Amino acid sequence: MLEIRNFVAGYSDVAVLHEVSLTVEAGQFISIVGPNGAGKSTLFKAISGIVAPMSGEIRFAGEDLLKVPPSRRAHLGIAHVPEGRQVFTSLSVLENLEMGAYTREGRRDWKQNLERIFAWLPVLKQRRGQLAGTLSGGEQQMVAIGRGLASSPKLLMLDEPSMGLAPAIADFVFDKLMEIRRDTGLTLLLVEQRVAEALQFADRGYVLETGRVVLEGSSETLKADDRVRRAYLGM
Amino acid sequence: MTDTQILVESVLQALVAGLFIGAIYGLMCVGLASIFGVMRVINFAQGDFMMLGMYVTYFAFVAFGAQAFGTAVGPFAAAIVAMPVMYGFGWAVHRLLISRVTGTRSAGMEAEGHYAQLILTLGVALVLQNGAMILFGAEMVSVRTPLSSAAWFVGPFGDGMALFVNQARTIAAAISLVVIVSLWLVIRRTNLGKSLRAAADNPEASIYMGIDVDRAHRVAFGLGTAITALAGGLLAANYPFHPFVGLDYVIIMYAGVVLGGIGSVPGAFWGGMTIGLVQQLSALVLPTQLQNATIFVFFLLIVILRPQGFFGRNVERT
Repeated sequence: MLEIRNFVAGYSDVAVLHEVSLTVEAGQFISIVGPNGAGKSTLFKAISGIVAPMSGEIRFAGEDLLKVPPSRRAHLGIAHVPEGRQVFTSLSVLENLEMGAYTREGRRDWKQNLERIFAWLPVLKQRRGQLAGTLSGGEQQMVAIGRGLASSPKLLMLDEPSMGLAPAIADFVFDKLMEIRRDTGLTLLLVEQRVAEALQFADRGYVLETGRVVLEGSSETLKADDRVRRAYLGM
Repeated sequence: MTDTQILVESVLQALVAGLFIGAIYGLMCVGLASIFGVMRVINFAQGDFMMLGMYVTYFAFVAFGAQAFGTAVGPFAAAIVAMPVMYGFGWAVHRLLISRVTGTRSAGMEAEGHYAQLILTLGVALVLQNGAMILFGAEMVSVRTPLSSAAWFVGPFGDGMALFVNQARTIAAAISLVVIVSLWLVIRRTNLGKSLRAAADNPEASIYMGIDVDRAHRVAFGLGTAITALAGGLLAANYPFHPFVGLDYVIIMYAGVVLGGIGSVPGAFWGGMTIGLVQQLSALVLPTQLQNATIFVFFLLIVILRPQGFFGRNVERT
């Protein structure tokens, strides 16, 4: 579904990603792990078109994504739940979800999506009239996830959904994501610093360090790898 | 009539005048607020967009407004015709000029492109003022309707008190209110309005939602231009104008927007309304030459006492 080949991108003239290659098949759950500054968020921003490509290729559902203007990419079925949540703080929770449903598919499936989002994340139903900026961090993360789901995406990209959350809240968000994945079979691409959780349910994983893929494989392979165990799992 | 009654009568008279002129100032400010609030672009040319709106109104009135609608309704019909014309003008100015120094293109610029925006809109203002001077000449022009000097007579009430309500200003104020309420409904309720607010709130996340942020900015810029131009067209029925009239009003507009709280559309309306009221009520006790000075004394007081404006959030101080 998503195919990235020898991709180089960065800011101004400085490359942050070096020859990154990555494949996501339909229905898979892929995790990307790695330390701060490895280029994980940059990779997501490049897929969404916020960071300019330097060379290489990104294809989504057979289409050359780099030829699609950034604001059209959501309409192809890519939902990006960004790092730091980035909810529309001055819009109500419901309006945030409506903006998620800005795509044609989102508008078509609006009623049914909203019902499902409220069923998974009942707190959004309670708070639907409240301005998103007045919510707690965990609640804002749920708004961001709900907003992503509201577009009826083919691929949901989650950038550090646990960032800045208390451990118990982060666990809750993670459980919800797994519940949503079980219910829908949605294709997921996850960037996460909580490596143990990220690899636990993933089909495949990639380890990104200083802009390069240093390791890839099934999550079992990665969990068994000595370097991963030492550096990320604390074993 | 006793002295008290004469005083009460003149206060009421000034209040009515202030409310009506305030409604048009409010409209003007709302036009600026939708540009300033959505795009964070400081537009020095807003007063000159208004001046253009006045001339478009004038020419539309002379060309067909008077024949088609008569001299009573014609000026207002012409002002409404100026709206789509000026929407197109604003849209084009954004497409050709403003977009080069805003949005995604301003990312690498100094102060996020704000310097470039200031210089650019100042340049646009100068070109419009002097271009209008060449094309239209320096004489004062006005869109006269018999309603400009006609009044409704309210009263007598109390003990022989009576009010004169200028008909042209009443109609202008009514049109202002209708446009402001419609704009507010569009912004709050429609998908277009919500996407404009989202683009103002978080441009990056808006792109992730599939909102074309550059297009949203163009629409906001066109709307803001059209609304300020309509306010100009409505003022033209009572106030003669010339190519440099924009300077007088752009200051009122910024004062109104800041008073109301930056980024708030209803705030901008109340800011403009406040300025209209202060201006008219001050004329009761001060010579008319000091009207504008009073506005700024009041403005400074508000900025000192409530820096975020009437409707602003604490984080966005003037």
